[in-house]
Amino acid sequence: MKYKISTLVVTFFSIFNASFGQDVHTIKLMFQNEFFNKTLVFDDLYFKINQQDSIQINELKYYISNIELLDNGNSVWKETNSFHLIDGSNNKTNEVNLNLNRLINFNQLKFDLGIDSITNVSGAMGGDLDPTKGMYWTWKSGYINFKLEGKSNLCDSRNHEFQFHLGGYQYPHNSLQKIVVNIPQNDKIKIVLALEKLLLPINLKLQNHIMSPSKDAVLLSEKASLLFSVKE
Amino acid sequence: MKIKLLFLSILCLSISAFKVIEENQFIIPLNWPKPVYDFAKNPLSKNKILLGKVLFFDPILSRTNTISCASCHSQYSAFTHIDHAVSHGIDDRMGTRNSPALMNLAWHKTFMWDGAINHLDMQALAPITHPDEMGETMINVVSKLQQSKIYPNLFYNAFGDSLITGEHTLKAISQFVLTLVSSNAKYDSVMRKQAQFTDQEKNGYQLFRKNCATCHTEPLFTNLQFENNGLKVDSIYKDYGRIRITKESSDSLKFKVPTLRNIEFSYPYMHDGRFKHLSEVLNHYTSNIQNSKTLSVKLAKPIVLSSNEKVDIIAFLLTLSDRKFIFNPNYFYPKEILMPKAKD
Repeated sequence: MKYKISTLVVTFFSIFNASFGQDVHTIKLMFQNEFFNKTLVFDDLYFKINQQDSIQINELKYYISNIELLDNGNSVWKETNSFHLIDGSNNKTNEVNLNLNRLINFNQLKFDLGIDSITNVSGAMGGDLDPTKGMYWTWKSGYINFKLEGKSNLCDSRNHEFQFHLGGYQYPHNSLQKIVVNIPQNDKIKIVLALEKLLLPINLKLQNHIMSPSKDAVLLSEKASLLFSVKE
Repeated sequence: MKIKLLFLSILCLSISAFKVIEENQFIIPLNWPKPVYDFAKNPLSKNKILLGKVLFFDPILSRTNTISCASCHSQYSAFTHIDHAVSHGIDDRMGTRNSPALMNLAWHKTFMWDGAINHLDMQALAPITHPDEMGETMINVVSKLQQSKIYPNLFYNAFGDSLITGEHTLKAISQFVLTLVSSNAKYDSVMRKQAQFTDQEKNGYQLFRKNCATCHTEPLFTNLQFENNGLKVDSIYKDYGRIRITKESSDSLKFKVPTLRNIEFSYPYMHDGRFKHLSEVLNHYTSNIQNSKTLSVKLAKPIVLSSNEKVDIIAFLLTLSDRKFIFNPNYFYPKEILMPKAKD
């Protein structure tokens, strides 16, 4: 009998391996946060934006969620439990592995920038959604979808700081953004977030902080959603 | 052989099913609505409830390790903070509101006087991180718990993992506060036909149903809605309630309707604790309603009560006192776990 059970176990594991081990096909998404084509370095580096003015970035965190692969507009693969916090200060978080279990043809990547409303009202969650990650508002429930903080001489604020905490899941201040980008059929896909396109158009003298769900948060989130591009 | 195995697995399954039922501490009182809390996502267990209780009583959750949840939510006052109009936190800092009494929270969809919090699990984050309450960060809380002598074990027993996370910390606190169910007042016995109101209480109940029950709806004694009950705006706090959260002008001066259960123990009353006695509360409703655009439609018609009728209503309100709840040993300070390191 013992022998039989061990055979059974061995058979089971070989089946398990065959279906889940060998055919796994991984697509690596690499998020690259840049400012004028330079990789973001926090705190010490100032980026000159013209003769007089400069910007320093101290924090950048954002959620990429509900990742899907599309083939000519049709969904061909969807990640389950798909929540990824990209933290500019931690390179490990910049890579997202999509574990496909077969070869799939695709030419587009679809994802949300932020956390959907159902997840926002579903209580405490773990992993990248854990409230210790600093991406959850405590005075009013809800995830921060996109967080960007830094300094610039242009800001009139205390210590010339700017803080943009973009979030909000309820109408009319739902700031979640749905993004679709064309991608090549590669195993590694580099997605660039060009932050200068977000920061430079902002009049930092007048607008240097957004801390709650609002019309401004929605507008800036819409702009942030346009920053993602795929580098071949 | 196969049949034996099948039998064995059925046996195992049924044992585990029994275990779940046995461990589930949550019982819905007779004739009460279904709770809104999703227990499937955070199934109750003895060890999780115990962990939640220890966290609830432990000042480790505050920056200065001096203030616990229980500091502003003590059992003998129906889990609120009495003697103070507004609650105070670390370094004796004063808040701007009276801490809500905690009970029957599994039926609530929103929390706080202004409904700022959308889920029970997330509620504890607000006082833990508020600078005038516990002034701590969640990441520090988790790291202090991880370094403590008692918590890795308690978390292991509760969640099968001694690695402490924010998720598990919050879910454990939810577990304990979910067990704070008050449904054994005299009122409940009368409803279950195990006791009878006195004539005065009976009259008070009828007056209550006529004048108060559209907002303080049975059996929870709150309709769980936000209403402007005609209070004058406090000139110092300038608290306009729910509008801060929704930014809708129609929510100006609205606050969440509090439960009236255990109201005998949970004084002072209103969001800023401005009334010390129930008679003041009733006088407000009969004589001091401030008219404004957002005044509850339920108060549009003046409430008229004679002084005898007010006394009768108060007699009824006292039948909402649940001494089994106030003295339930399941909610006592877990001295067997916290005592060796208690500071006070």
